[in-house]
Amino acid sequence: MSEQALDNASNLAPGQARCPNEPTTQEIIARDKVGAPTWVRSESYAYMGSDDVTIDRYVDPAYAQKEFDRLWTRTWQFACREEHIPEVGDYYVYDIGRNSFIVTRTAENEVKAFYNACLHRGTKLRASNTEGCASEFTCPFHGWTWNLDGSLQKATCDWDFPHVKEDEFGLPEAKVELLAGFVFINMDHDAPPLAEYLGDDFLGHLKSWKMENRYIVGHVAKVIPANWKLTMEAFMEAYHVIETHPQVAVSNADANSQYDTYGEHVNRFISSLGVLSPHLRGQYTEQDVLDQFTVGDSSVLSGADRQLKEGETARQRMADMMREMFEKATNSDLSGVSDSELLDCFSYTVFPNTFLFAGISLPMVYRFRPVANDHRKCLYEVFFLRPVPKDGNRPEPAECVMLEEHQSFKEAEGMDPGFGEILDQDTENLLLQQEGLEATAKPGITLGNYQEIRVRHFEATVDKYVADNA
Amino acid sequence: MSSEFTRFCPLADVPVGGKKAAKINDTWVMVCNTNDGLFAVSAICSHQDKPLFNGRVRNCKVTCPVHGARFDLKTGEPLDLPATKPIATYEVRVVDDWVEVCL
Repeated sequence: MSEQALDNASNLAPGQARCPNEPTTQEIIARDKVGAPTWVRSESYAYMGSDDVTIDRYVDPAYAQKEFDRLWTRTWQFACREEHIPEVGDYYVYDIGRNSFIVTRTAENEVKAFYNACLHRGTKLRASNTEGCASEFTCPFHGWTWNLDGSLQKATCDWDFPHVKEDEFGLPEAKVELLAGFVFINMDHDAPPLAEYLGDDFLGHLKSWKMENRYIVGHVAKVIPANWKLTMEAFMEAYHVIETHPQVAVSNADANSQYDTYGEHVNRFISSLGVLSPHLRGQYTEQDVLDQFTVGDSSVLSGADRQLKEGETARQRMADMMREMFEKATNSDLSGVSDSELLDCFSYTVFPNTFLFAGISLPMVYRFRPVANDHRKCLYEVFFLRPVPKDGNRPEPAECVMLEEHQSFKEAEGMDPGFGEILDQDTENLLLQQEGLEATAKPGITLGNYQEIRVRHFEATVDKYVADNA
Repeated sequence: MSSEFTRFCPLADVPVGGKKAAKINDTWVMVCNTNDGLFAVSAICSHQDKPLFNGRVRNCKVTCPVHGARFDLKTGEPLDLPATKPIATYEVRVVDDWVEVCL
């Protein structure tokens, strides 16, 4: 540790230290030409202690079973987007562990989630990982049939089933709520409403993003050889950027990124782009920063003039360029969007397993699910959400491209190669981390008070659900 | 398989995004007009011989409305359980604003 850092740390309460001698994220954003909205210009960090976080959660199959029993059964989960099921009868099968749900639109403004199993002898009514359209759900085994609303339509040879009462044989349901174009489900009928679960602060942020007006332009999935929580935590801080993504650090304010927590179920970071990493101070010019800037969707920037004028900052030029070129490339109106929203990485975790990225250049949603019966494997999905074109014609959502475990993210059709490289780097560490946690003599992981608060906050909520036997 | 094309329907009956099923001799055929062009396939699901023609077509794939099997319209290959066998595909062309299919 440098003397400067030690001085700063020793004079401050735990959790109060910030990257020394560097502008904060808020100070970087305050200099932008087109100012940021209040959801960007706010902070919500709280110190949560410095204790190690136990590693049984990553390595013990019994812990994974407790999660299936107590966490996945009681939390709100992003099952699909409304655009997956635009018409009555459209359905999307969502699985979590061994649980499976048919999420279907039963009326123009009503979506239901049925447990995906025949009430006769249990056959799945629809195969996992499928979607389609139905006017009723018929079991492929004996033909028992349910209406779209879940009521029993037909028990084949009903003369043989006088004990089957129609009103007792509706398909069991999970709770469903629709928010910002997402369909959320929860198996716990005593769960709080989604709005209460997420909290007012985050709902305010989400409302301003208008994610209901976006569509899935790309969808890639891959099984990662690590526990689902480790996989998520690889994306919760910018602290790893300098080591894991050296090509990005030149234009990323990594060590001075901002971290916030909201209630128990939401946290975020804001990581500014178009500015030099504090780790590299003095080693690069503004022109270097601009030259090495990479974004998630760089295809829209091809052919741009990248020569800075005297006194011009890389960040401002990047914002101006992106505004113009994204509007053109996506045929959308970005006139009301701040420079920060165009450039920066806004990474939100919605507990338990979804990341929402609010920005324009990095318009992703991530979803992470443990693979049933294997606590060392995680299904990781990346959705890219673009604004619906100005003409209002919503394109069909992209189909999921499933990569093999050995494949690079760069191989997925439509993936920006620069972004694919970042995802490869993020996920390449994970097998070593999983194995290291199984090999270690140390019973817990150690976290930074500020830069790793999202990991601590997330695991505190995991602990709460897993410990609570209710 | 003969190489003769049979008139199936006027092109106007299957606008882009539309589909139509009809019998040619004794064979149920479904023609789908997609963003990728016209395709003709069997109108009967390979899984349990159920009619496919009320199924949803998206991204050049049709989903059986009865049990949810899905097929690639270009190749007939089954993509989702419960189907494990392909459906037949047929050559299709447009002549004088008529869709013609070769069984």
